[in-house]
Amino acid sequence: MPQQRFPKIEILSIAPHAISFILSETDTSMANSLRRIMIAEVPTLAIDLVEYSENSSVLNDEYIAHRLGLIPIRFVQEGSVKGGDCNLSFLPHRECVCYDRCLRCSVELELDVNFDKVNPTRPDQERDLFLTVTSKDLLSNNIYVSPAHFLNEEEQDRSHDEGISIVKLGPGQHLKFKAIARMGISKEHAKWCPVAVATYRFWPIITINEEACNMLTLEQKQELVDACPDRILELDEITGNLVAVENAYEMATFTEDLKMTQNAMKKRPEDDDFVTVEHSTDRFVFSVETTGAMDAEEVLMSALKVLKDKLTYLATEVEKLKD
Amino acid sequence: MSVNEVKIKPAPVQFELRGTGPPTSRTFVIGDEDHTLGNALRHILINDARVDFAGYCVPHPSEPVVHVRVQTATGNEGAAALTATEAVKEACTTLENQCDFVLEELEKVLPEVREDREWMEQLAAEELQQAAEEEEDEED
Repeated sequence: MPQQRFPKIEILSIAPHAISFILSETDTSMANSLRRIMIAEVPTLAIDLVEYSENSSVLNDEYIAHRLGLIPIRFVQEGSVKGGDCNLSFLPHRECVCYDRCLRCSVELELDVNFDKVNPTRPDQERDLFLTVTSKDLLSNNIYVSPAHFLNEEEQDRSHDEGISIVKLGPGQHLKFKAIARMGISKEHAKWCPVAVATYRFWPIITINEEACNMLTLEQKQELVDACPDRILELDEITGNLVAVENAYEMATFTEDLKMTQNAMKKRPEDDDFVTVEHSTDRFVFSVETTGAMDAEEVLMSALKVLKDKLTYLATEVEKLKD
Repeated sequence: MSVNEVKIKPAPVQFELRGTGPPTSRTFVIGDEDHTLGNALRHILINDARVDFAGYCVPHPSEPVVHVRVQTATGNEGAAALTATEAVKEACTTLENQCDFVLEELEKVLPEVREDREWMEQLAAEELQQAAEEEEDEED
């Protein structure tokens, strides 16, 4: 059997829409595959088809349809509060056996906003202003599915609208349509991307050569500390030694400045370096931020399941061929 | 089906096995896949001591096809030699087990971290409430 490795996960910080964790005891290829899947192949819901009844707004049909597609759609499992994985609850519509669409493969969202009907209900001082049609006006036929209006409380407080604004209506304008949301992956269109950011950095391994450092003066050590723009080194107050900063992994960008400063400081070019900063080959700091459609840890778990499904499919194909 | 539906074209090859001669050297042509699967498989195959050569390539970026080439040791053991297809199957199983392991680890860590976060949020809310009450007291 190929050598089995046992990856470890340590979570640094977690919020509903963002997660930062350390993945260790695994290789760059696995970390990269995970990142690629989180960006491109995690299935989500997004509006795919729009059937208009009325559109007398200032934006034309396809413009509004484009905006609707980019609205993140949130699926909440029964009994849960977090934006969950829709993979098992919906079928990809191309595989569904229904004729056109059904509850199993799609979600219908309806919107009907008529400026003249809504205006009398608005407070007096707002009657002259344009009416903003937002994602709050989209009504879904599936109670577990609705648009993600805001990322969190802060964003809601800062916003002037009640949701994601779609179009603004003036007197006499009417917008009425039926939108169908389907499951898909980001490879087909970026509207299905569940994450805004999914990156990883290498863990920095900072080795300080104590013997060589003892030959340096305090000013020289201060020079080394100042040379690095990331500020990953500092001088220990009590002993005066060079020490790596505690949260070096957050700030390290592996620049050449330290190396060049050291080359200038060394008595002979062949001397050992005082401080070396290297990439770790099996420890990665991941940072994932979602659009609000799914919770961050759900994206990670879904990515792992997608990778497993790919491998199962490949294994069955190979098995069939052998026969 | 609406007339404007986008039909996705499938890859030119879904799955193919290329290579004649002894079953220890084969090229696996996988459609609708890219570096995501190719690099991961290649890495696992390389770490298997019984595999002589493992590599992957994407012949053209416009086509979603990956070629994975595996050559196992043409050993002196004769019947005990590993075939290329077996090597790939074992690599798939190993990687699947890794994924399962990570999923389990995540599940184990998450309840603690989640409770942590909720507890912090509760603390923050209590502090806010206390601050609001103190303000009221001062006003009075």
